Amino acid sequence: MKNAMGVELSESERTLVETYQGLVRVLKDGKDLAPFERRNAMKAVAALWQVVNGLDLDPGNLYEIGV
Amino acid sequence: MKESPYWNPRHETMPRDQIEALQVHKLKNLVAWAEARVPWQAARLKSAGITADSIKNLNDLRRIPMMTRDEWMQAQLDKPPFGPLLAAPEEVAVRYHLTSGTTGRIPLQVLDSMKDWEWIAEMWCYGFWGFGVRPADIVFFAFSYGTFVGFWGAHYASEKIGCLVLPGGNMTTEARVKQILSMKATVVCSTPTYALRMAQEAKTMGVDLAGSSVKRLILSGEPAGSIPATKRLIEEEWGAKAADTAGMTEVGTIMVFECEKQPGGTHIIEDHFIEEVVDPETGEPVGYGELGERLITSFGRGFIPVLRYRTRDLVVRVPASGCTCGRTFDLYEGGIRGRVDDMKLVRGTNVYPRAVEAIVREYKEVDEFRIHLYTADGRQDEIEVLVEIPEREGVNADRIVSALAKSLAQAHEGLRFGCKQVEKGSLPRFELKAKRLQDDRIVIGTAGERRVTV
Repeated sequence: MKNAMGVELSESERTLVETYQGLVRVLKDGKDLAPFERRNAMKAVAALWQVVNGLDLDPGNLYEIGV
Repeated sequence: MKESPYWNPRHETMPRDQIEALQVHKLKNLVAWAEARVPWQAARLKSAGITADSIKNLNDLRRIPMMTRDEWMQAQLDKPPFGPLLAAPEEVAVRYHLTSGTTGRIPLQVLDSMKDWEWIAEMWCYGFWGFGVRPADIVFFAFSYGTFVGFWGAHYASEKIGCLVLPGGNMTTEARVKQILSMKATVVCSTPTYALRMAQEAKTMGVDLAGSSVKRLILSGEPAGSIPATKRLIEEEWGAKAADTAGMTEVGTIMVFECEKQPGGTHIIEDHFIEEVVDPETGEPVGYGELGERLITSFGRGFIPVLRYRTRDLVVRVPASGCTCGRTFDLYEGGIRGRVDDMKLVRGTNVYPRAVEAIVREYKEVDEFRIHLYTADGRQDEIEVLVEIPEREGVNADRIVSALAKSLAQAHEGLRFGCKQVEKGSLPRFELKAKRLQDDRIVIGTAGERRVTV
């Protein structure tokens, strides 16, 4: 996986990015999440956005999922 | 693995061509976002012929219209409370903050979402980590936690780093000093003025702050954090290293910080902001080493896209090579030098409050001061500096006042300063932004030049 600047990410970095992507997907599609599941996942996404942004992967904005 | 001295090592040590390529990439995204989500911004961009696709390099940034505080205020008045500047629905916001209003102005009101609020802390992490703050630190905040954004982001940055945070809101100065000592704080965050205020209080209490566990002070909110004499005094009084930072409510966080090498300036967080320096009159860019006004473009807070915002802050940008820390982020030598509208014209001589403070702070015996401008005999501008000098053994207040007046005149083309000693405790103390200039002159004409009406 390469970032927007053409830099290859390490395995640990890729795992963080995939975790972020997975969480965003769950928040978009998961209609059955309990409040504690949704709101904690949102907090986690807000934090992981900083990682993905810092890795130059264009994480976009997350307002549509309330983050 | 050896611990990195940088928060984001890849970005903070990027070669300049890569920093600029990253900035262009982010600028395109920001313009596309503003175009798509903020009709007010889209109209401005369209009128200048800007589209995201038309941005090829950083020179294209200059085609984007500058945005002023007046425009922002007017937009809020036209469509209260936030103006047509929001790129996301208000209900997504988790934080509300506003600027401190001054005469004739309304405060700017801003919103942040979860992600934006986390980003605000992220920017402070660059500064805290860069100045050597680590998880084992105990950080005390001398800050009244309110709607002014101030050190809020720094508080959450400290938590993110893993420090123990002591939120020192709603406390007397004495209580704060006591808690710093009893909890063995290693880092203290405050304005430069309040750092000195706490030092004075500690003396009154008979406490030797220099012998305390405090190793670092992180200063913000006033330019004084980069005034060498003020900073030296703070470091001496606390027996600790002091670092300057600067931020603004309009972007929600800091955009510059001083690293552990203390190069006499602040690094620009260039992977999250584009900072330009322009002539405040013409708007034309000025080069390295020249005094000019900061313009900021922020990639962080998506809620309110900020493009080429005129800050009115005066700065001197120099290359990153001015510091030995290894960062490739350029510096503002001497931090924020003052405000474009700070300058006062007194009998034909330019007077900057920061320059006056730099001289006053050379006199360690002075506890507090005020710059007072007034009209004498209904016709002549006068400037005086009022000082508090507590009685101490071996201190000759008259001699200090006289020497101060001479130093101020020498630094201002011979302009006469009427220095006076005033009663101890008679001048106001400040916790947030200090306001030490009082202009009572009779006003005619433009700001900075005042003449008497007859």
